[in-house]
Amino acid sequence: MLDLLPEPLKAWLGPDVTFWLGYFTNGKHIAFFVSVHYTVLAALLGAACALVFGLMGAALWTSRNPWLRWPGAVYVNMVRGVPDVLFFLFFPLAFEQAMEWMRASAVCTPEAAAERAGQWPPCPDANIFFSTYEYLALACVSLGIVYGAFAANVIAGAMRSVPRGQLEAARAFGLSARQVLWRVHLPQMWIYALPGLSNVWMLIIKATSLLSLLQIADIVQLANRLGAPNFSRSAGLVHGDWRWGYYLVLLVFYIGLTFVSERVFAALTRRASRGMAIEGAAR
Amino acid sequence: MRSRLKGTIQPTSRETRHAVASYPSARKAQQDHDNFDTNSPGLWAKPLAKPVCARFLHCMNKRATVVEITDLHKSYAQLEVLKGINLSAAVGEVVTLIGSSGSGKSTLLRCINMLEVPERGSVRIAGEEIRLVGNAHGRRPADEGQIRRIRSELGMVFQQFNLWSHLSILDNVMEAPLVVQKRNRAEVREEAMAMLGKVGIADKADRYPSQLSGGQQQRAAIARALCINPKVMLFDEPTSALDPELEQEVVQVIQLLAEEGRTMVLVTHDMNLARTISSKVVFLHKGLIEEDGTSDEVFGATKSARLRQFLAAAGH
Repeated sequence: MLDLLPEPLKAWLGPDVTFWLGYFTNGKHIAFFVSVHYTVLAALLGAACALVFGLMGAALWTSRNPWLRWPGAVYVNMVRGVPDVLFFLFFPLAFEQAMEWMRASAVCTPEAAAERAGQWPPCPDANIFFSTYEYLALACVSLGIVYGAFAANVIAGAMRSVPRGQLEAARAFGLSARQVLWRVHLPQMWIYALPGLSNVWMLIIKATSLLSLLQIADIVQLANRLGAPNFSRSAGLVHGDWRWGYYLVLLVFYIGLTFVSERVFAALTRRASRGMAIEGAAR
Repeated sequence: MRSRLKGTIQPTSRETRHAVASYPSARKAQQDHDNFDTNSPGLWAKPLAKPVCARFLHCMNKRATVVEITDLHKSYAQLEVLKGINLSAAVGEVVTLIGSSGSGKSTLLRCINMLEVPERGSVRIAGEEIRLVGNAHGRRPADEGQIRRIRSELGMVFQQFNLWSHLSILDNVMEAPLVVQKRNRAEVREEAMAMLGKVGIADKADRYPSQLSGGQQQRAAIARALCINPKVMLFDEPTSALDPELEQEVVQVIQLLAEEGRTMVLVTHDMNLARTISSKVVFLHKGLIEEDGTSDEVFGATKSARLRQFLAAAGH
């Protein structure tokens, strides 16, 4: 990067500034900056998944049919109690091995399987390697499943908060059950759900720091690597333990993300509270 | 489109007639009202989008029955609210249900459009029986499509207004005609504005319900019920949540509708309203019809001691 700067500018900046410019734009640092998109993508897609799982979970849980209600209740109550780290490790691994198992039953010959008895995968052909983005997708689904349970709880509560009369009026005018849900119940539900959903969103942002568990070189892992005492064979100790500096940058980054989220949620709340006479809803 | 009308339309006074003339949609409504021939109650005050009656022969009957309730029973767990009610409302009739709290009058009204499903008995709307299946508390509509179709022809007005708070007043009025009746948007919009003009709040069309006074909200709710061209208007204590001042503006609208010859079933605690607009007054007591008859019969020549007691307590 430093090579791109014209010589006179370098001379004017002086050796110290050019050194630091060079240091912060070296390949590892560029990778560090670029890895922010993993975090942001995981948060956004994870939240989208969580919302979908939340809506489905709430729909199941509040269903009149016991065959639907039970799975919903099990999902909401069990998954909320599972540590997110555990699920983050469990789900992608289980998914990967399930895929490999299915593939093994198709591609592995009995001879190849017999040769590798007791090993996984049953034959080398059945081995599946996920790319970083595939792992990212798995991470988003894992986040979605875990935090979807929280979202389902929030949404189910919000659905119950919509005044009965609003739904009754819709039924009285001949709207079908589906129309009542989509045209009255869901639009009015958001204002009650948003405070709870903003909590879930914050939890999802924080949970993105677990991405490195899935071999994704995210900001947390790279900060750890870049900040660690750095030796090189030719130059000896390049720098000592600078992790505190890199962690501080991460702290500021997450605070910034929180600040932006708060603004977005305030705007969403304003939008959802149009016409809804709820005290303190519009800030 | 902004109404030059302020307040409600009082069709009986000369001055307001003049004011009505300045608002096109309201003028149309007024003309319909003036042209309405009270000698032929089988005719409707205004042309309807759909035919009034399900069957032609039914329409030939001058006093066609729009609502017919037979042997209606309704209970909640141990509490029997309705113990066998027979009631009918003919085209153009205003049937008023009165009675003390808990007498079952609201439940009876809600049985007409199956917001409450009765355990026994039947409800016919314009000769068509609402089909129910199952027994006792498991009783439910046999055909959701039929229920929706019948509901889309019954305009209900609630005590707590129940305007959809996330929609503007105009959208509230347009919702059912667009979504349930699947009518043309431009046509519905025009009719909705006319209905809002009729109840005197055309200038509030873009507001949200929470920005309106209780009386205005209830008038908007009446416009919403009118806009589906209902065969019957169902009023569930429309003025009970309003203070006396706001009550009057709603009462005036209801009186206007009665004069138009709308078929209405009205539950009310307002004895003055019941006395002035009813073609039939029904006094319910402990889930049974204690006394019914014309307004003059019920209020002028009260037979039942309970009704006399009730009217005395209500200040009559």
